[in-house]
Amino acid sequence: MLVLSRQRDESIMIGDNIVVTIVDIRGDKVRLGINAPSEIPVHRQEVYEAIQRENMRAARLEPGDTQDIGKFAGRGNNGPARPPEGPRR
Amino acid sequence: MRINTSRFGRIDVDPADVLHFPSGLPGLEDCRDWALLADADNDALGWLQSVARGDVALAVVSPRRFVPDYQVRIPRSELTPLALSDMRQAQVVVVVGKTATGLTLNLKAPIVINLEARTGRQVVASGELPLQYELTNQRPPLKKSA
Repeated sequence: MLVLSRQRDESIMIGDNIVVTIVDIRGDKVRLGINAPSEIPVHRQEVYEAIQRENMRAARLEPGDTQDIGKFAGRGNNGPARPPEGPRR
Repeated sequence: MRINTSRFGRIDVDPADVLHFPSGLPGLEDCRDWALLADADNDALGWLQSVARGDVALAVVSPRRFVPDYQVRIPRSELTPLALSDMRQAQVVVVVGKTATGLTLNLKAPIVINLEARTGRQVVASGELPLQYELTNQRPPLKKSA
């Protein structure tokens, strides 16, 4: 890991299009400003890792696991997907 | 386009129906192309099937059918990569998970689809939302996000 010291209002450039700026330092909390192209997602690491773990767990589900899900659904005939071949009914 | 899936056997998908996820999904970064399939038994459920990996599929639902007060607040920076100027051009689905107690919905990281451009992305919604919202017959009201 590259470790740099920065003071408030100083910045770090990552690659040629990402800039991290120290916006504020208060006690043990640092506020960071991040300028990056919109296609590069930026997240708190623990949030991203939690989503990764949840996706990997969810990717193990089989149709047998979800067959009772309909009992939790409200009214409405807009399912999340169209069937591959034409309307269902 | 033919996909040999582990759950649904061999299926044929129109390439025009395939959704492209430029960043894949967290944990499934290499899976960039997906087909959205209807579940055979359940019209409330869909399956997001990876084109490249036949063993990878996620069960997804329209969140409002299960959580009527679910309001997603998505930062604009999350919508721009999808070329969406507003949420009305989008379809939002959430991933179904499972814990020891039962089925859950990932309300914190919904999947947003640009139907016209056939692109998609999993985004992190603002506010305190559960990664594992438990589906039970008593539906607790969702706290309003900050």
